[in-house]
Amino acid sequence: MPQESEIVTKRVLINLDRCIECGSCAAACYVSHANMPVVGFARSGFALLPLICRQCKAASCVETCPVEAMVRDENGVVRRLLLQCIGCGSCAKACPFGVLPAAPAGVPTGFRSTDRISGHQIAKCDLCEDRTTGDDGAVPRCVAACPTGALVFADERDTSAEAVGVLGGRTTGEDPFKRR
Amino acid sequence: MMIASQAQKTEGVLPRCTLCPACCELSVAPNGPDIWRTEYPLGEGDGLCPRGSVLGELLGHRRRILAPGKRVDGQVRQLQMDQAYREILDAAGRGGITFILDPNLPCEQLSEAASWVQAWPEAKLCFAVEPAERELLLGTEASGAEYLSGRELGDCDGFLMIGDVFAANPICARGVFDRRKAGSRTPIVVIDPALGTTAKFATHLVITDVGGELGALTALAGAVGVDIDLTGGQTSKDSSSAQAAGAALGGCRKLAVLIVAEYGRSAAWREVGYLAGAIAKKLGGGVAPQTNGANPLAAVRLSQRMGTVSLASAMSPSEHVRVVLAVDVLGMLGWSSADEAKMLAAAAGLPNVTTDAAQIILPTTIPGEIGGTYLLTGQRSILVSPALAAPAGVPTPAEIIAALAGMAGIAKGDASAGADPLKRLKLKAPKPHPALGEPKPLALLLGRQAAQAGCGTLTGHGSWEAAIQPVPPLRISPQDARGMKLKHLGAANVACGARCVQARVYITPELAPGAVVLPEGASGTRALIPSKIDSENDTLVAAPATVAISPANGND
Repeated sequence: MPQESEIVTKRVLINLDRCIECGSCAAACYVSHANMPVVGFARSGFALLPLICRQCKAASCVETCPVEAMVRDENGVVRRLLLQCIGCGSCAKACPFGVLPAAPAGVPTGFRSTDRISGHQIAKCDLCEDRTTGDDGAVPRCVAACPTGALVFADERDTSAEAVGVLGGRTTGEDPFKRR
Repeated sequence: MMIASQAQKTEGVLPRCTLCPACCELSVAPNGPDIWRTEYPLGEGDGLCPRGSVLGELLGHRRRILAPGKRVDGQVRQLQMDQAYREILDAAGRGGITFILDPNLPCEQLSEAASWVQAWPEAKLCFAVEPAERELLLGTEASGAEYLSGRELGDCDGFLMIGDVFAANPICARGVFDRRKAGSRTPIVVIDPALGTTAKFATHLVITDVGGELGALTALAGAVGVDIDLTGGQTSKDSSSAQAAGAALGGCRKLAVLIVAEYGRSAAWREVGYLAGAIAKKLGGGVAPQTNGANPLAAVRLSQRMGTVSLASAMSPSEHVRVVLAVDVLGMLGWSSADEAKMLAAAAGLPNVTTDAAQIILPTTIPGEIGGTYLLTGQRSILVSPALAAPAGVPTPAEIIAALAGMAGIAKGDASAGADPLKRLKLKAPKPHPALGEPKPLALLLGRQAAQAGCGTLTGHGSWEAAIQPVPPLRISPQDARGMKLKHLGAANVACGARCVQARVYITPELAPGAVVLPEGASGTRALIPSKIDSENDTLVAAPATVAISPANGND
């Protein structure tokens, strides 16, 4: 179990009541990560909702990876080391939230490619560290792209954040026409 | 032309996406040698939908048209720009020339083009506004209703949404949700027979048949005290949901009416726009038409004042040669290269249906490369700066017209006098629209999608758009799917006449039997219900059509 200080406290949170399934988050992630999708979608009934890494405190993907390609870095972000990943899929199977699929949003990652390097990858959210490290006001690209404010980059300790309450257990259920 | 200086309010000059009225801020970042991608504001801003996300990629796209070409025996041979212009003028010398121009250009480009064409007796100019959108905007202009910006939506206490407005402009959803958060009882009324994304957020869903938007809106208008009947006596089959929705909106002090003129519904859009404006005026609010591109309202206003010809007239058979500039007019109308509309020349940034049909292909700029004034709402303009300069030697559409006019010995006129896009049109109320008759069984509805702009031939070049939907989703009711032995997520062929597209089945319990829905931005779906010229009303109409659906190979 990592020390408290090693865990990220700001996470991407989703307010399901604001998600219009436009795919802006997935598109932003895709074009910014060398066409390797990280943000995927799950279909719940007729709704199509984004799946974003929760940056778990006890990250099963890190525990399971046989080659230590999935690590928690110095900023506390769980990330995949590009050249170390052998594409075995252990992390994808271990993830209890299903956010590490080989084909997020139905788009295959390099996992099935025959390329010697990119053919061995599982896409993994890194919270856009190239933007967010050292800048408290910066947000990951999926959050910046969200047109409706459904995605927020919030500190879980900030109870005033709108989405933190939502994270508590609201679900879409089977019928999104009745969910709101 | 300094239209921006006339604006009541002009906002800061930034690069923006101009693919819808939201005009989101963006920038581009290098992503390799001569490769670009969209970059997002660092902080939580107003967002950027998938269409804006693709703009950066398009600027350095590998299929970018950078030099003129001429089609000879099916092959495109490269030309010099002067040679291409000379060939166009030689062909035009026999009958004249009609320029069909992208309406989503900055006002300066539209005025510049009009200035040249006005001084050229053998030339005509058409701003190719989507026919349904043009009708809708003429209706809202005639109504006299105020136009609302996205930021004003949060101040409204009720929403009436016609069509899938959240897919047409995802940004407008933020204002609706902000208001709903402040007042959980805020009524959200949706009229959309295709039950798009917006319908999922409705507090009151108005049940309507295919093409029955005007009837439903008339019933709703009656419930809020607006006694205008433009249906010619046709009423909605099930008006109880419309009356319940009207009762919910009746207490609003500022109603926002968001409308998108969906392709292929033949829903009397001018009358819908007028009635929607009348309802908004009655309830102290305004309208927010969600168009393809940021500037169709400016184009509609300018075209009325500058003597341009209609798209129906420009596309009708004539001796004139057609030169299409920066707009995929064939893709927009669902026409194919086999149709009668022969295109002599087409200028585009990336290949599309129109360039595939043209004899001469010219390079031109794409959104993100031209700065200028856009009409942000009906009363305000916004000055947009280019995200990136156009490649060397690639002219703007107005520069192409200027070069052709110069070679033809034409001196530039001054069409800009009195052509103020901020000035509202003064139009009469539309006449009642004849009844549409009974809906056809298994009618095809096309719905907007957030990932694609318009007919999708520009944004379809984006890597994300190409990746997510190689096969368009077909939404169908469970009853219809059972009858046709279609399985959820199975493959199906959707045919209309000789045209057919393959789709993936999504069984949708909420959809009424008798209607099926495909995205209008997917390749080939508009071609299933091509627009037809309505000479009597000088417009083009795409009516809902019956389709035949069968399981495709591999449907198991």
